[in-house]
Amino acid sequence: MMKNDNIDRLLRSAAQAGDESPVEMPFGFDTRVVALWRAAGSKANGVAQLLRRVAVLSAVMIVISTIAAVREANQSREIRESLTNEFAIADSAIQDEFLK
Amino acid sequence: MDDSDPGALVKAALQNDDDAARALVRRLYPLVAKIVRSHRPRRTPEEDLCQMIFIKVFQKLSQFSGNVPLEHWVSRVAVNTCLNQIESERVRPEVRHADLSVEEQAVIEKLATSSEELAPDQQLASRQLVEHLLAALKPVERLAIDLLYLQGRTVEEIRKITGWSAALVKVRAFRARQKMKKQLAEIWAKEK
Repeated sequence: MMKNDNIDRLLRSAAQAGDESPVEMPFGFDTRVVALWRAAGSKANGVAQLLRRVAVLSAVMIVISTIAAVREANQSREIRESLTNEFAIADSAIQDEFLK
Repeated sequence: MDDSDPGALVKAALQNDDDAARALVRRLYPLVAKIVRSHRPRRTPEEDLCQMIFIKVFQKLSQFSGNVPLEHWVSRVAVNTCLNQIESERVRPEVRHADLSVEEQAVIEKLATSSEELAPDQQLASRQLVEHLLAALKPVERLAIDLLYLQGRTVEEIRKITGWSAALVKVRAFRARQKMKKQLAEIWAKEK
């Protein structure tokens, strides 16, 4: 059976081995990273700009539709009111005729 | 510009100064590469993972408050990226006796039959054996063992790097050790 002490000894020994290979940045790595970052940034900006345009256009369409609907509703109410008045005038004229 | 001042480099990089951004990469590369070497998943090349980490660092650079050292902040991004990458690969190979080198098998035998410290010429084989055992653990357990025992960091340092609580660091290290112990016992049983 393996004891806890065995794991400790193994880990102590492994820690002493370390990592000997040098850390060297590959040639052109920094330039590549910065270029990719900028490209990703402009791509994200492009998408954000497109979304913003769609949102603004949608808002404009909603406003125009609302104004048109309100205007249409007002016009039909005016027509209905004017017809009601005409009916009332005709009605009172007929009643006057009968009373004569 | 003063390349030794990370705060100034960050500020300049955010103002579209590519020279400052490149200087940041050069400054942080050894740190990131070291973390990647410790926590790299088997199927992702070191350079690709470093690149992935740097892109993430730059994309989140505007969120860097400057309240903590830049190196700590970058370490956390690097560690989390490695853990996510390991998790996405979802490969935890079982350690088989046949996969071990003769030197690694000798280390196991020495551990099982003697209570002496391992010889200096067995350090490399020990390291390879530990890496085999770590590959079969969960990424977070692997990280706990690596930081605590292989890199010799304190619980407080690990807490800063990972964002875990001190208790969680200890629990994860304990569970990882238990699993490693079990794996070693199984290999030794097969070897006998």
